[in-house]
Amino acid sequence: MPLIKAGGKAADKPAKGDNSAGHLAGLTSAAADTRWSTARALAGRADAVPALAGALASEDSPRVREAIMTALMRVGNEASVKVMLPYLAADDAGLRAAAVEALQGIPEAVAPFMQALFADTDSDVRILATELARNMPEAEATRLLCALIENEQHPNVCAAAIDVLTEVGTKEAIPVLERCATRFAATPFVPFAVSVAIARISGTEA
Amino acid sequence: MAERDTPEPSAIAPDEVQRFCEFLYRRTGMSFSESKRYFIDRRLNERIAATGSKSFQAYFSLLRADAEHEIEHLINSFTVNETYFYREDAQLRCLTSGMLDAIVSRKAPGEPIRIWSVPCSTGEEPYSIALWLMENWPQVDNFNIEIVGSDIDTKALKAAVEGIYGDRALMRLSPDIIARYFTRLDDGRYQIDEGLRESIEFSRINLIDTADMARQRDFDVVFCRNVLIYFDDASRRAAAENLYDCLRPGGYICLGHSESMSRISPLFRVCRFPDAIVYQKPEADHG
Repeated sequence: MPLIKAGGKAADKPAKGDNSAGHLAGLTSAAADTRWSTARALAGRADAVPALAGALASEDSPRVREAIMTALMRVGNEASVKVMLPYLAADDAGLRAAAVEALQGIPEAVAPFMQALFADTDSDVRILATELARNMPEAEATRLLCALIENEQHPNVCAAAIDVLTEVGTKEAIPVLERCATRFAATPFVPFAVSVAIARISGTEA
Repeated sequence: MAERDTPEPSAIAPDEVQRFCEFLYRRTGMSFSESKRYFIDRRLNERIAATGSKSFQAYFSLLRADAEHEIEHLINSFTVNETYFYREDAQLRCLTSGMLDAIVSRKAPGEPIRIWSVPCSTGEEPYSIALWLMENWPQVDNFNIEIVGSDIDTKALKAAVEGIYGDRALMRLSPDIIARYFTRLDDGRYQIDEGLRESIEFSRINLIDTADMARQRDFDVVFCRNVLIYFDDASRRAAAENLYDCLRPGGYICLGHSESMSRISPLFRVCRFPDAIVYQKPEADHG
């Protein structure tokens, strides 16, 4: 019979990672596989956040960066969020997207930073930040996004916020959306997006 | 005729359905068109009733918050939870018509082909892989093939080892295959051939436990179907990275038909075979 029972492939469970200098040194190894496996071993380790932050800053392998982001995401505290937030403004689109995906997965840890993100002078950062509200509780997401829309001058930022509200918004967003449509009446895609959002939120036909 | 005890669908506004469908797609990858409106309404109304929600909006809030694991209940109501032999056989066809040819071209003489079914539930999938290979792959006698089935549920694993199944599990197998590979028991159920049972290794595994997963390595093909849709973002990423480490370079991963690795992780490349889309760990990772 060609089928043979697998055997001898089971390895011992690896020992729990430690935070010794020797272990963390794996993050700066010349071998991407070592950096990858070290980052994975440090997933969820709050004490490793400074080392992961340093590694992320100098890492040029997308695969290893992904593992570092996941490790930070699994820590999910204030310190790990602070490490990832600056990458929302990275020149590298892949890095920006990786940061958004990782931060989206830890909405509670990100929530305290939303106001500052929505006040960022870079409209691209504000646009990406709207996506971070998507996994937040509806009432909180609605409050944050409505506060943004009320004062936002950039139609693309408003449109991004409206898109998120279309999924997560509550009825409290409707007056804010209506005012936004009026304010950007000369930019047709904004009133259109508002009409769709209001229809979805209120459950009536657009 | 309507099923007993199943509430008749009540009116859910089209925009509410659209809102729900967009959330469902983003969260799970499951996509439903307007033509499935009755199906969606019916499942949604069942879940609204089951959770005691007073409206679609109330239910949607509960769902987004994943209160009482409602995401899991919802996915269960929208998917076929029944497992049976030769389920989603397009990927089995892809295995023998494309993936294995590429895999064996890289094999050193005597090196085994390793295939992993995770989660394997009560064993239908790993046994299906074995049956399919023996029935459909002309080179099957030229290689040593190791098939491993793993699951987090030890009761399911115990049943997998016993390999006893009812008619429904065998509904897609031909009478000839049933006759050659199964023994009919006194209670009318069927037990799979002892040689097959003894050739497959079963083990307990937690997909998001990195230490657990480190025990499984060097697979050429992993069947990981219809489980990642249940995970949250962080768990999905962890599972994807664990699966990456379990595969040999150039190895393939097969997900459920509604799942997409591209939505979970950039680690794998998409491979379009005539029979199925699967995902591949790059042969040479330059980063």
